[in-house]
Amino acid sequence: MRWIPDDIAMFNKSSEYVDTAVVPLLPVAFGEGMKESAAMTDFASILTSQLERQLQGRILLIPGHTYLKSKPEEAVSQLEKWEAELLDRQFKHVFYVTCDYDWKQREGELKGTVLWLPSLPLEQMNEASKVSVMEDQVRQLMNLFIQKWREEE
Amino acid sequence: MSKNRVSRRQFLNYTLMGVGGFMAAGMMMPMVRFAVDPVLKAGAEGDFIATKVKVADITNEPQRVDFNFDQKDAWYESEVTGTAWVYKNENGEIIALSPVCKHLGCTVDWNADKKNPNMFFCPCHYGLYEKDGTNVPGTPPLAPLDVYPHQEKDGILYLGKAQPRGGA
Ligand code: FES
Repeated sequence: MRWIPDDIAMFNKSSEYVDTAVVPLLPVAFGEGMKESAAMTDFASILTSQLERQLQGRILLIPGHTYLKSKPEEAVSQLEKWEAELLDRQFKHVFYVTCDYDWKQREGELKGTVLWLPSLPLEQMNEASKVSVMEDQVRQLMNLFIQKWREEE
Repeated sequence: MSKNRVSRRQFLNYTLMGVGGFMAAGMMMPMVRFAVDPVLKAGAEGDFIATKVKVADITNEPQRVDFNFDQKDAWYESEVTGTAWVYKNENGEIIALSPVCKHLGCTVDWNADKKNPNMFFCPCHYGLYEKDGTNVPGTPPLAPLDVYPHQEKDGILYLGKAQPRGGA
């Protein structure tokens, strides 16, 4: 389910089935890494919204967590607060989806699962390959979700 | 640079179902749309959309068929990719099922669960459906999968708007 009133209404009615919060982690950098951070942010946003379409009955897609790439400590400590709040509510699983590899190294500090995928250069592809590349990535990500769910049952 | 921009935007239109897409255009004339909408809707009911599948290529094994169409809801209009599971049943009739789980809307997959072969399986809460779309009692879904009406034109499969079949 998405962060829109209609979906939230549905969420409130069937919240026992929605046990997974998905938080896209979206870096913002200026100067040097600006374009790269845009690519990561773009890719992770598309990926998660596509994923939501496949698994909407069990996941709530939280608005993306944007952070300054140059302030990793702040980014982690803020995310910890979000995480505490989500786990306090009924969510059993918190999944972070990101193209920023730094999060993989910080995963130990978080209770949720960091799912990292490389951002692919969509801007260099034609429409058809974009769509099929994305489908492929979404399928991989989906399998990771399904696997994680299975592990805990 | 600006060319890339356009294509990225188009890409979003293709891929983000129900989101975005021609938002600006939609927002400019909400009143007109409001007045016209019921008429458009009535017309849309009878619309069949061409798939890329030849009727002759449809087998007994459900295959995934994607098709594109414009979707209008309130002030959004976007090009959307729909999906159907298509196969021929024992009587040779074409069956086209919606992949949207009747429980909470996840996408069901054919033959994806090893313990339940030859069934439609929903990964979210393990809903199950028979090959004909009938929901398996004891799993969360309470209704069979929706069915797309279909037509054949020049050997190509056309699909209409998915219709519910009512409880089993
Ligand atoms: S959404 Fe398919 S079983 Fe719950």
